[in-house]
Amino acid sequence: MKTYTDEKKAAALAVLTTQADAKLITHMNSCVHCGLCADSCIYYRAMPGEKYVPAKKVDLVASIYRRYATTTGKLFPKLTGARNLDDATIDEMIDLLYGACTMCGRCTIHCSIGVDISYVVRKGREMLANMDLVPATLQKTVDAALETGNNMGISDQDYTDTLEWLEEDLQMEMENDNAKIPLNATGKEILYTLNPREPKFFPLSITAMAKVFEAAGESWTLSTRMYDVTNYAYYSGHLEQAAIITQRLVDEVHQLQAGKVVLAECGHGSRAFRWEGPNYIQQAFPFETITSIELMLQYIREGRIRLDPSKNKEVVTLHDPCNLVRSGGVVQQQREILKASVLRFVEMNPHGIDNLCCGGGGGQLAMSEYNDRRMSIARIKAEQIKATGATVVVTPCHNCVDQLTQINVTFKLGVQIKTLAEIVADAIVLDK
Amino acid sequence: MDWYHWMAIAALLFCLTSLSLHLLRLWRLGNHHDFSTPTGKPSAAMPYAFVGAMSPTRKESAYLHLPTYVGGLLYHIATFLGIALFFLFLVGIEIFQWLMWPLALIMIMGAVSGAAILVKRMVKPQMRALSNPDDYISNLIVTLFQLATAAVLFWPQLFPVYFVLTALLLLYIPLGKLKHAIYFFAARYQLGYFFGRRNVWPPR
Ligand code: SF4
Ligand code: SF4
Repeated sequence: MKTYTDEKKAAALAVLTTQADAKLITHMNSCVHCGLCADSCIYYRAMPGEKYVPAKKVDLVASIYRRYATTTGKLFPKLTGARNLDDATIDEMIDLLYGACTMCGRCTIHCSIGVDISYVVRKGREMLANMDLVPATLQKTVDAALETGNNMGISDQDYTDTLEWLEEDLQMEMENDNAKIPLNATGKEILYTLNPREPKFFPLSITAMAKVFEAAGESWTLSTRMYDVTNYAYYSGHLEQAAIITQRLVDEVHQLQAGKVVLAECGHGSRAFRWEGPNYIQQAFPFETITSIELMLQYIREGRIRLDPSKNKEVVTLHDPCNLVRSGGVVQQQREILKASVLRFVEMNPHGIDNLCCGGGGGQLAMSEYNDRRMSIARIKAEQIKATGATVVVTPCHNCVDQLTQINVTFKLGVQIKTLAEIVADAIVLDK
Repeated sequence: MDWYHWMAIAALLFCLTSLSLHLLRLWRLGNHHDFSTPTGKPSAAMPYAFVGAMSPTRKESAYLHLPTYVGGLLYHIATFLGIALFFLFLVGIEIFQWLMWPLALIMIMGAVSGAAILVKRMVKPQMRALSNPDDYISNLIVTLFQLATAAVLFWPQLFPVYFVLTALLLLYIPLGKLKHAIYFFAARYQLGYFFGRRNVWPPR
């Protein structure tokens, strides 16, 4: 029988008992247990039952809050269902907050009151991280980033070798020997970042974005020291580790004297750096940060790249990464880009800020112990894709690409999964 | 004034003081400082957070559960009306005869909705699993308050019972989930602030 020490419990409770955060206090006190958020969650839709109702996750955290931070909970815990932070509660927290939530935030926008459910889940994960209870698989990903500079532990040699052959590829593709993938160049306008899945598994998306930069005549560089856009400590809830990872990229921008950071197609990475990063390091960034999606749209609008949609003839649909749309406000840009890049674009239903998560968010792809659950909820996305009749699914997020690739195989969809940069690169008209 | 009036006034003062303290605490803490650079405006998102996002066309919790949504709406309308009537009863303002029936009807519709929501909570295993004693008590006491309000419109001799019940309700509000009377607005504000800064709301 495991017993979590009082010291650890105190560290966890410190997350909730601070009386200095109006947002925390608000969301801890708002749920009315109406249960109407159930259908908004892919876990509940795939596996109906009380366990997967989002409010259950809220209540796990809020009931502890009530027990330790409210007078009623301290005096009459049974009245409001206030719970002690005991072993059983902690185990349930690990299972539900890490293992049954992608932090997609869909339930939040549909909650009858307005409880920010994914924020509450984040707070719960912070508590568990303070107790060193991050699932080992997820922590391994964070540790890889802390130890090697990227979450996949790619060695410098492998990384630079990959980029070298990608540069050759780019030159062939563009029929231009001067086309480059610049590395560690100082004083450039843009420091571009990558999801380490790109050099490891999907290198063609790097070539695609390089082609876009080259066609737009952009001044840009990649770094070999710090290129990882992801921050899995955002998912683990370990604030100090999240701050270290954020600071590294900030330092690299300064080191390379870049004008701005362009965040690769990665939902959580762009959220973790652009929106959470400044709060992790308690400092506003002294440089601009935008996503590659916004940048590509700028190129199109300014005429810096020309696109021929007839180069992409297939029926294309779009999967919206939750962190990018619902927590990042990048919603219409990818649609405008697709309309300029493909002949036939069809929306999924629902889409945009109402989209359904693919099931790969929240660190689920890293936590193999929850694989079965992850693929159970994936059925919903598979059905959504099937209903569109599309043969290509575009998603501006490498985590989503990974999950959608598994969905494609598991549910025999027979579609192609692409990033937005790949679609744009395919449609680019090069000036000869 | 009779003893039950004073009792209700004391309970009202307790309730208002407690809720004000909650509100003051939120007010004093203000928005937590966010170091990220906003891409949208919270002020533009606020009307959407309080109106548009609450509409049954936008909210899944409403359009997928229309009977519950309508029931909930009636229940809340009747509650607010009941509170307004409580103030009138307290200061002794007479209600027009022709208004009695419409008011009683609204209160009864609210009470029926409240009872239906309570039954749903009691019989659906999923709802039971989510509920604690406070959920049942809150639901029951508000429903009884609505019934009592309807009753005293026609039987003034029931005022002592009505005021005792209302006093109990007022004493109970700050203890449990009924304080969402304050936190509902705070939660909508927080969402408007969050989604507004990030240009998610209002949706385009
Ligand atoms: S919809 Fe909102 S208020 Fe209702 S149970 Fe779910 S989280 Fe709580
Ligand atoms: S954030 Fe997403 S996965 Fe988590 S409970 Fe809400 S809807 Fe479900």
